[in-house]
Amino acid sequence: MSMSNLAVLPIIIPLISGIILAFFHKKVTVSRWLTRILTISNLGLVSYIAWIVFTDGAVILETGGWEAPYGIILVADPLAITLVLTTNIIATACAFYAPHSMNIKEETHYFYAFFFFLITGVSGAFLTGDLFNLFVFFEVLLMASYALIVLGGGKVQLRESIKYVLINLFSSVLFVTAVAFLYSVVGTVNMAHIAERVQEVEQKGILTTIAVLLFFVFATKAALFPLYYWMPKSYIVPNPVISGLFGALLTKVGIYSILRVFSLIFVYKLDLTHQAFIWFAGLSMVFGIIGALSTSNIKLIVAYNIIPAIGFIIMGIGVFNQDAISGAVYYLVHDMIIKCALFLLVGTIAYVAGTSDLRKFSGLIHYYPVLGWLLFVSAFILAGIPPFSGFIGKLLLLKGALTNDEIVIVVLGLLSSLLILYSIMKIFIQGFWGEKDESFVKKPTKGLVGPIVFLLAFSVILGIGAEFIYPSIDTISSYLLDPEVYIDSVLKE
Amino acid sequence: MEIIISILAGILFATAIYNLLQKQLLRIIIGTVLLSHGAHLFILTMGELKRAKPPILIEGIKDYVDPLPQALILTSIVISFGITSLLLVLTYRAIKENKTDDMAQLRGEEHEYE
Amino acid sequence: MIFTVLIPLLLACFVPLISKIKDKIHTGIFVFFIPLAIFLYYIQFVGSDFTTVNQTVDWIPALGINFDFYLDGLSLLFVLLISGIGALVVLYSIYYLGKGERLGHFYVYLLMFMSAMLGVVLSDNIFVLYTFWELTSISSFLLIGYWHFNERSRYGALKSMLITVFGGLSMFGAFILLSVITGTTSIQSMIEQKDIILNSTYLPFILVLLLLGAFTKSAQFPFHIWLPDAMEAPTPVSAYLHSATMVKAGLFLVARFSPIFSGYEWFFIIVSIVGIVTLCWGSYMAVRQTDLKAILAFSTISQLGMIMAMLGFGTEIAVYAAVFHILNHATFKGSLFMVAGIVDHETGTRDIRKLGGLLNFMPMTATLALFGTFSMAGVPLPFFNGFYSKELFFDSSIDLTAGISGFADFLVQVIPYLAVFGSIFTFVYSMYFFFGVFGGKKQFNLLPKKPHEAPIGMLISPIVLVLGVIIIGLFPNLVNGTFLAHAADAIKGAVTADQHIKFWHGWDSPAFMMSLIVVGIGTILTFTRKKWAGVYRFLPGKLSLFKFYDIVLDKLNSVSNGVTKQYMTGSLRLYVAIILGTTLTLTFITMGATDGFTIQFNNLSDVRIIDLSVVLIMIVAAVGTIFARHNVAIILIAGVVGYGVAVLFVIYRAPDLALTQLVIETVSVVLFLLCFYHMPKLRKRDETKRSKAVNIVISVGFGALMTIIGISAHSSKWFDSIANYFIETSYKLGGGHNIVNVILVDMRGFDTLFEITVLGIAALAIFSLIKLKKNKEAD
Repeated sequence: MSMSNLAVLPIIIPLISGIILAFFHKKVTVSRWLTRILTISNLGLVSYIAWIVFTDGAVILETGGWEAPYGIILVADPLAITLVLTTNIIATACAFYAPHSMNIKEETHYFYAFFFFLITGVSGAFLTGDLFNLFVFFEVLLMASYALIVLGGGKVQLRESIKYVLINLFSSVLFVTAVAFLYSVVGTVNMAHIAERVQEVEQKGILTTIAVLLFFVFATKAALFPLYYWMPKSYIVPNPVISGLFGALLTKVGIYSILRVFSLIFVYKLDLTHQAFIWFAGLSMVFGIIGALSTSNIKLIVAYNIIPAIGFIIMGIGVFNQDAISGAVYYLVHDMIIKCALFLLVGTIAYVAGTSDLRKFSGLIHYYPVLGWLLFVSAFILAGIPPFSGFIGKLLLLKGALTNDEIVIVVLGLLSSLLILYSIMKIFIQGFWGEKDESFVKKPTKGLVGPIVFLLAFSVILGIGAEFIYPSIDTISSYLLDPEVYIDSVLKE
Repeated sequence: MEIIISILAGILFATAIYNLLQKQLLRIIIGTVLLSHGAHLFILTMGELKRAKPPILIEGIKDYVDPLPQALILTSIVISFGITSLLLVLTYRAIKENKTDDMAQLRGEEHEYE
Repeated sequence: MIFTVLIPLLLACFVPLISKIKDKIHTGIFVFFIPLAIFLYYIQFVGSDFTTVNQTVDWIPALGINFDFYLDGLSLLFVLLISGIGALVVLYSIYYLGKGERLGHFYVYLLMFMSAMLGVVLSDNIFVLYTFWELTSISSFLLIGYWHFNERSRYGALKSMLITVFGGLSMFGAFILLSVITGTTSIQSMIEQKDIILNSTYLPFILVLLLLGAFTKSAQFPFHIWLPDAMEAPTPVSAYLHSATMVKAGLFLVARFSPIFSGYEWFFIIVSIVGIVTLCWGSYMAVRQTDLKAILAFSTISQLGMIMAMLGFGTEIAVYAAVFHILNHATFKGSLFMVAGIVDHETGTRDIRKLGGLLNFMPMTATLALFGTFSMAGVPLPFFNGFYSKELFFDSSIDLTAGISGFADFLVQVIPYLAVFGSIFTFVYSMYFFFGVFGGKKQFNLLPKKPHEAPIGMLISPIVLVLGVIIIGLFPNLVNGTFLAHAADAIKGAVTADQHIKFWHGWDSPAFMMSLIVVGIGTILTFTRKKWAGVYRFLPGKLSLFKFYDIVLDKLNSVSNGVTKQYMTGSLRLYVAIILGTTLTLTFITMGATDGFTIQFNNLSDVRIIDLSVVLIMIVAAVGTIFARHNVAIILIAGVVGYGVAVLFVIYRAPDLALTQLVIETVSVVLFLLCFYHMPKLRKRDETKRSKAVNIVISVGFGALMTIIGISAHSSKWFDSIANYFIETSYKLGGGHNIVNVILVDMRGFDTLFEITVLGIAALAIFSLIKLKKNKEAD
């Protein structure tokens, strides 16, 4: 464990980048290059911080020099830094994809600034050790997402964004109220301090109720059953690169918050709270997959697939043993990457096909073999077929669940894996296979494929190279299952 | 008084939600405004409504009201204002584009998402 | 060993390069040497002094996932089949697939499959086995869909993938259970700990999940429906994957795990029943088919069922017969598929109704078919290897001893009859196949092409296989001690290696009597086939498992569409109602379950008239917003609430807040008026009675919930607030008298920084929204 300003850099650098790019918004070429350089250097820096965290333990910063629990603390613990790292991998891919998928008008309307603000908010949410500050970072990332979702300003976009803003606004208000309730009971907003005090009174009285309220706040953001209704359609209306960012990051911040709060703070009524999570997990899997099978819109298929993935992660949190938490974290990282890749991929497919309605195109493999095979591999990655990343996560999750005798959820998980595969493979079979359409006019895909390959490469490494990744994930789950470590590192120097 | 303010905040929540559940956009947005008011009152109440001194240090006085909730409310008010303003402009544009302010007519058809 | 498994996969990477020069040399010629080399490598292990070989290469030791390869008699048998038949199939494909085809793709998939299949049979590690298992499904999917411009190919590919991946996943479930229970990922260690498994409460789950994997892969009833549709693949693929190797992976799995389960009665019951039903149903249905490959597909189903049944019997003789038949089936069925391919290639059709009388035109092919079909039928002559294993099957069916339960007892009684029944139809479809194509009248006017003998290159592979049929038939003991006994030994343990296979057991041998019955009745049924064919109208009649699959898949899509349309209406009101309703209900339940509600009346501030009147005004205003009927009215009434909040801030000693609230409320009201002055008029709330009731319940319920939690939270102040620290240090460390200000700019300055960021983003977003509109209007 060490005190260092390093912890604030993953937040401050995107913030400053965003401000700079707001000024350069009219100069598209400069913006593009600046964005690429800044995302790559930030990725490098975060990798360095991650290396320090995994060798020397959490990096902690007391902002403004105010000691915990009074000031705001940033905690770059193994979980937080891993997710920040993943976020920056995704950001880098999107930075390279964006210029090829957006039109100049969208780019000059501050896309790059909002993009960096979104990264600021997401990184901040992962790193902060203060519950109210978490709310503030939620607002940063949501505000950036509001700006991004209306970018382009189409009729449909405006309509869906209103729904999106309203639902998120409501859950934000609920969030801040719940923080106030919690403050009244425990007299603090520092997460480690809250954890210590909740432990002291063994989560008695009103505390569990407040915990559940917080759960629903996060679950709404995470798009968990039955709170996800706002999500699928609003995620598919903006540009693919924005869908990719949303699909990879926004719901995951929600699930991260659940993971953090229900592994650090509220862990004394497991048979009530965590058992309920398993139910939510099962229902999310079922309804998410039903959604994915219900449509022939390829973007919507991917959007619905977010829900069962969230189900898998929440199942791990619900089961709450070493294997399950490792699996949840593994799956979280895996899903962030593959979801971004898939959104970019179907975005590209819809672009070259001229429609996202699967009934309206076929035989694309004759013109776009690379896209076809990327989709093919993605389907297996997503469904958790070995040796890719989804498999390791799923293996750990199911193993954890069976260790706790949760057989029903395991059966649901296996069945939903099959249907997840089916839902994506449908796109391959109907859209890519088939007769060659001689009249088809091929559109260039320059620059669109590289970022997708980059992301999928990570998925493959996460799977085949699990031997190198798993120890880190194991460290994270041990850390999460032992809140004392976090509390001590923040509160007792 | 804390109990009464809690009830007031609860009523603000209830009326806010009732407005949120309406179809016309103006009502819905008014709902979100009431919602923030309710939340802020809750935060204030959670810091105890003792009528001690305002949190401005004066020599010799030890008893002040809890300053932290006030700081949190201030942050929250500013953020709410930002969101409300954005929402207003967004609504204005959406109504102009879609030519209706009725959420029931803003459901969207399948083909529009292609 | 690891190299033999990975080499096809690695070399597959180079195939696309090689296929670029296909104008000169057929890609298959290069590929041919890969399985051949593997075959030659493994043939060295054959011999009576065989011992098992282990090799471990680490992959993910942290999770117990390693390449633990294990070569015993069983895997040796399979490895030889995979590489041997593989080489022959590649050879055959060189003549079958023209240079115009996408050969690069074809051989990549084929090599991928070869690696996968070798991996399945050599892996001792369950998760590595599972990995290779799914890879066989994937490559099979790609091969079936090779001619993907055909609708039927796409359909068949999807079907086979859904069913086999379904099985794969359930097998994966069984594997996880096994590894959780035994704490190991090695099959051999599991066998050592079989008592733990047999005493586990999860035993039924494990068995069912594992068998689902095996049954789907080996096309056992009722999962057999994917195999006939898989015949859309090019014929070399059908010969290789869907007859000789991949479909036997399920048998392999059952054989591999039978040392664990062999004593468990349910294992016997389930596997025997499924096997024997598959045998009967497959052979019965084969006679009904008109497509040559469909006949062979059902015949494969039926034969796999027979082997499965023998593995279920689990007696020494049955296990021995099973491995023997795995070998025999690969030889005669492989050659028959190639024959079917030749007929298709040379006549242009596979429809048996159009074929006939080809004997004189394709004598060589006909001879090959004769040996294949007669061996399959189990005709009792010493140069048909099928007869030996068929007779051992009869032997094993009457050799069964009564089980513990009455049901097992009953099963033991009926199995011999079913065995004979299935074998009769096997005889019938074998004859039907042979005489339908080569015998009878010629009707060349129905054929797209004028038939002639196949090129010699195409005949080499089936000739080799038929030679296998004959040699094994004449000298069964050649394969007996050298590797069949080792294979049986691996399944059953300590099978007498000197088990001597004889052609002649004497007239009084019951198995021989059964064979005679089969041949007798079979011959009669063959000649009268047209007379009794009407029976298919009753069974299966309209009961079709094939249609069942279509309906399920169709329903899956339509029902999910229906369900999703029900709630994904795009209606914000419904979204909000569901989110709130759920939160409300479950939070209340939690509160009840944890006894969360508390209320305390001490330490509260006094109730004063002025406070109360402000509160009352606010309540009236808040409720008023619901009834307001005019744009300006509703905005102003809401403004009253806002100003009321400001007044409360004054009363409760929050001067900064009051000031901010006043300013912001004023700006907000102005903004609202600006935006909505020109907006559509506020209409009467139009809501149905029902939705009104729901709205009231949800809103009042939620308000009450918040109030109750608020009161409880306020009544549970168990700790000192950190605020005391702020009061103490505001001046000392923060240098300011206004504590709230010090908190905002210093102690929680980080919050403020990002609060400003939020405001900045909002401003930028508003700016871009307005500018975008202007641009649009300019366009």
